Amino acid sequence: MIVRRAATVLILAGLACKMESKPPAIDTTGSSDPKVTSSAAIGTSMVAGARIAVPHAGPPGEWQMPAGDYASSRYSELASITPQNVANLHVAWAFSTGVLRGHEGQPLVVGNTMYVVTPYPNVSYAIDLAQTGQPLKWKFRPENAQQAIGRACCDVVNRGAAYADGKIFYNLLDGHTVAIDVATGVQVWRTKMGDLARGETMTMAPIVVKGKVIVGSSGGEMGVRGWIAALDASTGKEVWRAYNIGPDKDVKVGPRFKPFYAHDSGTNLGASSWPGDTWKTGGGAVWGWLSYDPALNLIYHGTSNPGPWNENQRTGDNKWTAAILARDADTGEMVWAFQVTPHDMWDYDAVNENILVDLPVKGRTRKALVHFDRNGFAYTIDRATGEVILAEPFVPMNWSTGIDLTTGRPRVVETKKTAQDKNVKDICPSLEGGKNQQPAAFSPQTGLFYVPTNNLCMDFQARAVTYIAGTPFIGGNAPEKGGPGGYRGEFIAWDATTGKKIWGVKEPYPVWGGALATAGGVVFYGTLDGWFKAVDARSGKVLWQFKVGSGVVGNPVAYTGPDGKQYIAIYAGIGGDMGLLIAGDVAANLPYDVRERGTTLPDIARWTSWGGELFVFSL
Amino acid sequence: MRISDRATPLRARSVATLCALVALVALACSRSAGVGGDTARATHTSPEQPAVSHAYVAGDSLRLIAHDEILPVGFPASVKPLLIKNPYEGDKAAISTGGKLFVAYNCLDCHGADGSGAMGPSFQDGRWHFGGGPGEVFESIYQGRPDGMPAWGGRISNDQIWMLTAYVRSLSSKDLSTENFTGKTIERTGH
Repeated sequence: MIVRRAATVLILAGLACKMESKPPAIDTTGSSDPKVTSSAAIGTSMVAGARIAVPHAGPPGEWQMPAGDYASSRYSELASITPQNVANLHVAWAFSTGVLRGHEGQPLVVGNTMYVVTPYPNVSYAIDLAQTGQPLKWKFRPENAQQAIGRACCDVVNRGAAYADGKIFYNLLDGHTVAIDVATGVQVWRTKMGDLARGETMTMAPIVVKGKVIVGSSGGEMGVRGWIAALDASTGKEVWRAYNIGPDKDVKVGPRFKPFYAHDSGTNLGASSWPGDTWKTGGGAVWGWLSYDPALNLIYHGTSNPGPWNENQRTGDNKWTAAILARDADTGEMVWAFQVTPHDMWDYDAVNENILVDLPVKGRTRKALVHFDRNGFAYTIDRATGEVILAEPFVPMNWSTGIDLTTGRPRVVETKKTAQDKNVKDICPSLEGGKNQQPAAFSPQTGLFYVPTNNLCMDFQARAVTYIAGTPFIGGNAPEKGGPGGYRGEFIAWDATTGKKIWGVKEPYPVWGGALATAGGVVFYGTLDGWFKAVDARSGKVLWQFKVGSGVVGNPVAYTGPDGKQYIAIYAGIGGDMGLLIAGDVAANLPYDVRERGTTLPDIARWTSWGGELFVFSL
Repeated sequence: MRISDRATPLRARSVATLCALVALVALACSRSAGVGGDTARATHTSPEQPAVSHAYVAGDSLRLIAHDEILPVGFPASVKPLLIKNPYEGDKAAISTGGKLFVAYNCLDCHGADGSGAMGPSFQDGRWHFGGGPGEVFESIYQGRPDGMPAWGGRISNDQIWMLTAYVRSLSSKDLSTENFTGKTIERTGH
């Protein structure tokens, strides 16, 4: 998932060149014009009869797990903020996290306390919402090896904590998982899960399922061997660990494994779909979001890109990298697997969230899993079986002409296949994907998905690379540029029953922050240039926006305060993979600025800089 | 003769001990016994290598490589460190080899193409977390740095570290100002 820089300043040709010579082409919602208007094509399409598969965790006014529920819907039942009154939204209070790096993730709210986890050094705060001025109840700074900073591919982010049974659980960049007693701020346990010496850092947000904390590691760019594991929430003891590559025993493929597609059946495919021992350093990390269906008792997770990027060093399908896996929550056993991008050669991780909804598709209600992949396709999948019901592009793309629904596999365009020592030009989407970690939201009111997207393309230059433990195992360079149309991101509404975009708000930069849908009919998201926006869930009309300063790469949440009012909270703090290179040093769009960011995110330095702030809004 | 190319004994020591190494010119070789503490092995690796300085343990808090800009006034004469020079500084052939090593040892994938910065810091922006002098860059590569830079001393030869040092330093020669910008609208040129 790493961003690579151009070996030399990117030479842009044709249309792109003209685009680059001006300030970023933006519509009227862009930063250069503070007017609150929308370019969205106003649509009215809605999907009736769609429902979130799992109820919200805890009372509607709380936010106890990363996505608010096991379904990863990021939907809040709070309805006080509406299209009619959202123009009156204002800052209620703010909090400085004390860290100036990418603030991915989101706070939690349990009772009258908010819990915030910062990027490295992964400090956690308990904020008392019941008192004026929101004082801290406690602050916890964990022991966290400094070496981790340089072993993390894509900034030192943390995607948040999960709450259960009086504790919050979160991962440390240096490969530990910790449990903190929410009453006292005291560490209850701390377990080493990842090996930093082999490039295993941890950035993902856990979920807690039936007394087990489910975690995975980052390191798809470091030649890790990806895994997912369950820890006993009371003791921190590892209950199970499943690798995503290697022999069946390690991958937990057994009698219960029933993939939908025939080519996914076989013995030890996690090893035999690799040359020799290359699976041992083959990536397939679990750094994204987790979902859980209690009725099926299945955990859903994606796996990262295969390593190295240079595909010549790993011929074959490279199972189970760039895949969506369904595992038994009690044992980790694999129940089905779907390889989204077999033999990935573009760094298209499949770790994006899997949203569990019951959807009416072609006259039938389907137990669906909806996934907006890095590869640019939005998949509507049967979450019981792994069958792809439909898959359509949700962003501009040219590497594939479509998904063959008889096999689930993409039809790959020959001229966009990457290869060692070749410079393959103009591949869309770029390695950042049509969407990256920024999670989408779903509203049962409209039946639509709200998806923050990227519109970037790349050239891909693969080369031979040697595995050296603790160093990157990449073997490639992929300079990026804006995609077609003169915008670099778009916030879209998506109908997963038909695979169609309903409306979109174009943005000058990739939309690297997540979405929140609310029962008030308002959807929230933030932008890299530091705007926090509210849009009409039905029409996509931008109803309100506020400049939070630093770019937003985090995800909004809604909660009810002790005063009974609805609040919306969001982090501001540019960083993450897209912001990594500008986080330390916001790139100016100057001819003499050699850094790639000048071309990938033109003029961003005029709009934002480092930050680390929590903003809370109310009417 | 240079810092031992068979640096395994050095690797066995703690970083604190490594930090206690002092670089002296060849002349200092004969003084090492008098400096006290254990002595790093200094060996000729090839006859054609230029005569440069070598490391000796001083048994105090001196660093592996002297830092020319921070030589303290009134430094005790008995252990006065002498400036070490990179034998390959500005040597085009060695810089070219260093550039190849930069790719071979995966430095590129951390520090970015042409050292433009990625997971690890940029070498082009003129800002050095641990100093940009030849000795300082050598140290960073040799002993690693706390933010995740691995220690390469003992894993690759010191000769190669010097070539990498020469290459890394060559990247910063553009003296770029990469953070400032003016109020003027500047049209992009060149592409």
